[in-house]
Amino acid sequence: MACTADLAMMSSVAMMAADVKRAIDAVWRIESARLIAHLARLVRNVGLAEELAQDALVAALEQWPRCGIPDNPGAWLMATARNRGIDHLRRERMLSRKHEELGHTLEMEQHMNGSSPESRADDEIGDDLLRLIFTACHPLLSREARSALTLKLLAGLTTTEIARAFLVPEATIAQRIVRAKRTLAEAQVPFELPRRAELRERLSSVLEVIYLVFNEGYSATAGEDWMRPALCEEALRIGRILAELAPGESEVHGLVALMEIQASRLRARLGADGEPILLMEQNRTLWDRLLIHRGLLALARGEALGETRGPYLLQAAIAACHARALTAADTDWVFITALYDELVRLEPSPVIELNRAVAVALAYGPAAGLELADRLAAQGALSCYHLLPSVRGDLLARLGRYSEARGEFERAAALTRNEREIRLLRNRAHRCERGEL
Amino acid sequence: MSYLLLIVEPVDQRRNRPAHEGREVYQRMLDYTEQLRERGVLLASHSLRSAAVRLSVREGSKKVTDGPFTEAKELVGGFFLLDCPTREQALAHAALCPAAQWATIEVREVGPCYE
Repeated sequence: MACTADLAMMSSVAMMAADVKRAIDAVWRIESARLIAHLARLVRNVGLAEELAQDALVAALEQWPRCGIPDNPGAWLMATARNRGIDHLRRERMLSRKHEELGHTLEMEQHMNGSSPESRADDEIGDDLLRLIFTACHPLLSREARSALTLKLLAGLTTTEIARAFLVPEATIAQRIVRAKRTLAEAQVPFELPRRAELRERLSSVLEVIYLVFNEGYSATAGEDWMRPALCEEALRIGRILAELAPGESEVHGLVALMEIQASRLRARLGADGEPILLMEQNRTLWDRLLIHRGLLALARGEALGETRGPYLLQAAIAACHARALTAADTDWVFITALYDELVRLEPSPVIELNRAVAVALAYGPAAGLELADRLAAQGALSCYHLLPSVRGDLLARLGRYSEARGEFERAAALTRNEREIRLLRNRAHRCERGEL
Repeated sequence: MSYLLLIVEPVDQRRNRPAHEGREVYQRMLDYTEQLRERGVLLASHSLRSAAVRLSVREGSKKVTDGPFTEAKELVGGFFLLDCPTREQALAHAALCPAAQWATIEVREVGPCYE
């Protein structure tokens, strides 16, 4: 009997430990970015800042299960990490007594001992976070390294989680992060906000990383690891943070709007068997109205800044047209065509041209769209892209030119490796043989 | 994942607070809202006025009752809708809510009523 009681007690202790562990994970995910950002400004090294923050996390893992979770876990982690920071600087000062560094260390200790993070103005913490975002997305780093580092430092994800999300081995991600931190340290990248002149360019690098992370999650299919769709949430969260930190940048709002609206369709975009459902065929009652509302607000916020619309704001405006249409038939294709015109002028790209051709066909009839698609085909830029023959096939079929359409669908089927798409395209080719749309 | 934090407060609490104290706790809640926004987790939030009306339709006939409801001991004073991946994170955010000190925060996951 005693044995059973012991077991029961042991399992309840184990459960409590598991609860504490989950609580620590949660606090870490919420606080780590601020922790690292604050430390990075003090020790002027992002890699070291992250190590110090990790040390504090390890201390929490040791102490909290025994002594309970402190009332303000974030402040506890910050105080612990700062103490580790001071220890580290003292050791460093013992090792090298260079005058300059001594000065820096003293100044830093004043920082560390003086103002507590709680008493500091909120916008100062905000600036630290903004610095951290710009550093993690530094143009010195490759795109892959930027995304991995951003998820590690700003979303508080572990290397394992990032690896699962990107479907690559953990060692690869670990190496990417180590190398990225080394690159930043060796280049002595200052932990600063970019100067006005560079700001726009640096910002576009940040936005690119966030959107890349979002799309990684968005392209995940049903049944895959849940970590992949979680990338959408993380990208949205970082995007929303950025929008609060840099409210005057219209493209940030554009990106947030675009992501909110795309995320609103997450539930509608896959069928019961995980097959993708195209925008026009989605069940719009499954769209998340709250996210659409938020997306439209972000779009309005960006447009209210009154600047020329950039590519994210324009893409968001296009997404908003679809979001506002209660049925596919309600879509304002004339307006969408105008937005694509603006987008093509801003970023000439054959893929955008092709999208524009589709919009034109829906706004002004298949003949007008086909003319544009034919022009693209003549340029040869998209010769390996299956969507060009697939769009041409569709427009030809709508014009009753079935034998030409059939050839296009077959060509498109030969250009893609996606089984589902191949089946869909072959099916359309067969229908063309029978003279059906 | 979305979680709703419901602020459940004693019915008389607001009325019994001196005005300056009321303004102060309200400001603390606004600051907390701002914090959630800055952390990128806030989807929606509102405080609610105390006055309430109850409505039900039974066998086609509508019944409307104006508050205050004498039997009620608590009222929902406001809500925060959060976008965060785990229940533990929702709880961690709830623990930082100033209202946790004078009311109860009910944390509910968003999801269908029947699977």
